[in-house]
Amino acid sequence: MPGTYSANAFTLAPASPQAAAISQLFVGTLIFLGAILALVTLLVIYAVIRYRDRPGAPAAQQNFGWRKLEIIWTAVPTLSLAVLSVFMVRTMIASDLPTADAKPDLRIVAHQWWWEIYYLKTGVVTANEIHIPVGKRLLVDFRSADVIHDFWVPAIGRKIDIVPGHPNRLWIEADRGGTYLGACAEFCGNEHAWMRIMVIADSPEEFAAWMKDQAAAPPGPTTAEEQRGLAIYRKSICINCHVNSVGPDLTHIASRRTLAAGALDNTPQNLAAWLHDPEDFKPGSNMPNFRLRDDEVWALVAYLETQK
Amino acid sequence: MPDKTKVGVGLFLFSEAWFFLTLLIAYVFFHSLPADGPSAASSLNVMHTLAFSICLFLSSATIHLAVRSFRAGDRNGVSRWLAMTVALGTIFLFGQTREYLGLFAHGVTISTNLFGSTFFTLTGFHGLHVLMGLVALGALLGIGMCGRLGEIKPSGFEAVSMYWHFVDAVWVVIFAAVYLLPLVA
Amino acid sequence: MKEVAIPEALGAESFELEARTGWLSWVTSVDHKQLGIMYMLGAFIFFLVAGVLALLMRVQLAVPYNHFLSPQAFNQFFTMHGTTMIFLVVVPMLVGFATYMVPLMIGARDMAFPRLNALSFWVQIFGGLMLYFSFATSGINGGAPAAGWFAYAPLSETAYSYGPGVNYWILGLLGIGVGTLTAGINLMATIISMRAPGMSLRRVPLFVWMTLITGFLIVVVMPILNAGLVMLLADRLLNAHFFRADTGGSAVLWQHVFWAFGHPEVYIMVLPAFGIISEVIPVFSGKPIYGYDFVAASTVAIAFLSLTVWGHHMFAVGLDNAFNLFFAISSMAIAVPTGVKIFNWTATMYQGRVRFTTAMLFAISFILMFTIGGLSGVAFAVVPIDWQLTDSYFVVAHFHYVLFGGTTFAIFAGAYYWFPKITGRMLDERWGKVHFWLTFIGFNMTFMIQHVLGMLGMPRRVFTYPALPGWEAMNMISTIGAFVLAFAVLIFMINFVISLRSGKIAGDNPWDAWTLEWATTSLPPAENFTRVPPIRGRRPLWDIAHPDRTDEMMTRVAG
Repeated sequence: MPGTYSANAFTLAPASPQAAAISQLFVGTLIFLGAILALVTLLVIYAVIRYRDRPGAPAAQQNFGWRKLEIIWTAVPTLSLAVLSVFMVRTMIASDLPTADAKPDLRIVAHQWWWEIYYLKTGVVTANEIHIPVGKRLLVDFRSADVIHDFWVPAIGRKIDIVPGHPNRLWIEADRGGTYLGACAEFCGNEHAWMRIMVIADSPEEFAAWMKDQAAAPPGPTTAEEQRGLAIYRKSICINCHVNSVGPDLTHIASRRTLAAGALDNTPQNLAAWLHDPEDFKPGSNMPNFRLRDDEVWALVAYLETQK
Repeated sequence: MPDKTKVGVGLFLFSEAWFFLTLLIAYVFFHSLPADGPSAASSLNVMHTLAFSICLFLSSATIHLAVRSFRAGDRNGVSRWLAMTVALGTIFLFGQTREYLGLFAHGVTISTNLFGSTFFTLTGFHGLHVLMGLVALGALLGIGMCGRLGEIKPSGFEAVSMYWHFVDAVWVVIFAAVYLLPLVA
Repeated sequence: MKEVAIPEALGAESFELEARTGWLSWVTSVDHKQLGIMYMLGAFIFFLVAGVLALLMRVQLAVPYNHFLSPQAFNQFFTMHGTTMIFLVVVPMLVGFATYMVPLMIGARDMAFPRLNALSFWVQIFGGLMLYFSFATSGINGGAPAAGWFAYAPLSETAYSYGPGVNYWILGLLGIGVGTLTAGINLMATIISMRAPGMSLRRVPLFVWMTLITGFLIVVVMPILNAGLVMLLADRLLNAHFFRADTGGSAVLWQHVFWAFGHPEVYIMVLPAFGIISEVIPVFSGKPIYGYDFVAASTVAIAFLSLTVWGHHMFAVGLDNAFNLFFAISSMAIAVPTGVKIFNWTATMYQGRVRFTTAMLFAISFILMFTIGGLSGVAFAVVPIDWQLTDSYFVVAHFHYVLFGGTTFAIFAGAYYWFPKITGRMLDERWGKVHFWLTFIGFNMTFMIQHVLGMLGMPRRVFTYPALPGWEAMNMISTIGAFVLAFAVLIFMINFVISLRSGKIAGDNPWDAWTLEWATTSLPPAENFTRVPPIRGRRPLWDIAHPDRTDEMMTRVAG
């Protein structure tokens, strides 16, 4: 079972200028709305206490309304909302930067139920986990391989739908280091709940090191067990799916924090359990159960653990 | 107080208008996108369709005359004009069937491309509405020929006429959007 | 006091009145009162079914990584819960109230088209049964639809929903839609053409106004849904391409068509509730509604505006900011006429004599709960906030506050208010108060915390979730609240059955109310009125009881 991570509420801990802009607007709006709620609540509670039916209470006053009052409580909300709109427009500009002319740094292809990630400038391919350098803005180009998905990492900023036939782009950045959790936020089928995503903001040095590792070939199998694992990997034609974008690229799978888009922590035990029966953890996932024997599973795990 | 039958039918036709409007918007939207395969310009014969469309347009005049005859108590007039309306409407449906068969023969179906999907849905539902109108008109004609026209309320007769005019008006819009639009845009 | 006989023109048709006994008389009935009751009972049964689905989902969500429900089952359940509550519970329940009450309120003896009325009901039931039949389809791809109640394409296309579930969803909704549409036409025609002499549109009860406006929305938007449904069905069964992005279609077009229907639909679900509140609050404050003209006019404004806001469901789609800005402004604008009503209902209680009957307790809490839901709706009109919170539990909280805290509370208010008229007996007030408090507590416990879950990043429509800090405890609280709600419903059902058998006899006008339905016996006779009282104002019974200070006299004095 996955371990615990910190909750990333954009309101409590925005980690980018865009998320901070939205967070400020949200807090201000909540205060405004809260004040209205408090006003209405007070008016109602006062009315029902002061004018409750009890012996000796005066007869109900047969009045029908007052036009002046109607105008006031139409005009005041209208003006307040107009003011709110001004703040809204400012925040729209601050939280969703124009993407038209720039060249994308990343391409994220959303699949049922995993994320395929390409670093366009270095050719690095990974899945479910994005590393970005702190303080640098990256342009992401989103595509869908199948249905509508949605990229939502609250601490980083707004969510954006990923619509087949309608590519979208978004600038993402983090202004401090950390691990920011997100999820697909548009119902996309059986395992929508386990299409989670992680944005890891590294220092520029850490990021460069990570990028270098990812771009290089992973250390190959050395021990006999690892060799056996590679043989099984080839025999079971894992490559058919895992290199053709049907399933996530496994080149550096051992370097990732979770498996199955957040369904499991990435440990050898969990990897073995997953290979034993994917249905157990992610029923309906597209990975079939290859009915591997225990020893075959452990050999595969040994091989995959070399793919750092 | 307004007559409830007229109000009811009027509201029904108002609702149908929104149904056709939605299908029409889908047609026009996809028509405006670049696309492969058969299109309105390449597959439709405007003159042929205009011919049987004119029959439908004329049938609005004939049913108007049928209503006038009904109001005047002219039974023979009612039967005559109703029969003409049914005939003109039937010619329209024959024309449309021939058009459809021609398109199928040329490999244009609802599943061919977006032109096919939108064209057949929009004109198909219109054709179904024409058919239902013919059934209603046929019923009135039958009742009239049995000599029992007096049992029909004026508002009921006029309701059928309103429906028929509506079906005609919808075709004016569809004809313009589907057949005439490629000629100008 | 002048008697007014009911003229022929107002629907005193020459069909034989059948005996109102035996179940066959119900099945073949064209009487608006019996049909109204059937609408309400049918809706309540579906409410229980959809409620059970909700409880099962809340059990699954009580703890993280739960295995109580498979993802397939959960996804079918949230689809069916939403579809049922909207199309088979709320709308038919409100249609049922209107079907029963509107003819009485306008002094008519039935609706404009009694046989169409029966057709509406039975077609709707048939559609509902067809929808639920999907649960019985077998095989690995069988089962109920699982694409959500708004069935976004391409998930709802054959390639991604290969079983028959979505087909049943489409066909069921087409059937239900025909029922709703014809009911809307019938109600509008009734209100337009069958009012008793003296009952001008400026004098009808506000519930009638709201029904008229709701009828207008029904007539405009149900056909839009129907068009979308036939296009999706064509895609699924005839290989058309409307919404299939891979062959030139547009997934976004489905969203436009669906929400062009879907947003006005939520106003269809709330305007009649506003009507109920507009009846209950004045009666239990002892004074007329404050600002009748403004309550009616603001509702007309809401109806027209509701046709211009649908894009706020699509802010996250990545359409351009001109689109987003237009719909943000229109969505904020629609808050203003809604607020006008909140203020008018509150002002009605001022200088009144507020009686805390169960109906009134629900009505007062409606004001507060609907305000909460409405204000969270305003938050969503603010585009960047929507960009964070749409598709999260914050929106689940929002719509449950307006639809449960709003409409359902209003329905309970209407139930306690009109049960005496419909059955001749009073619902027990002590059980009623227990029902109210359990509902109030259970409802807030279930849904208030979901605002926080949304802010903490929990997406909606997830069958389970990771053990993030706070998520487990909050979900557990929500689940417990749901069971408190369930218990409250049980209390209501007990009250209902006991009161039906041995409740206090109501009499014609147990609440000292003023609109025409209270001017006849409880229950009303088959022809509704033996004689309709004279109508010279909005409160005919007040005018009769206070001939020295009728509404007309008092408004003339007030100027």
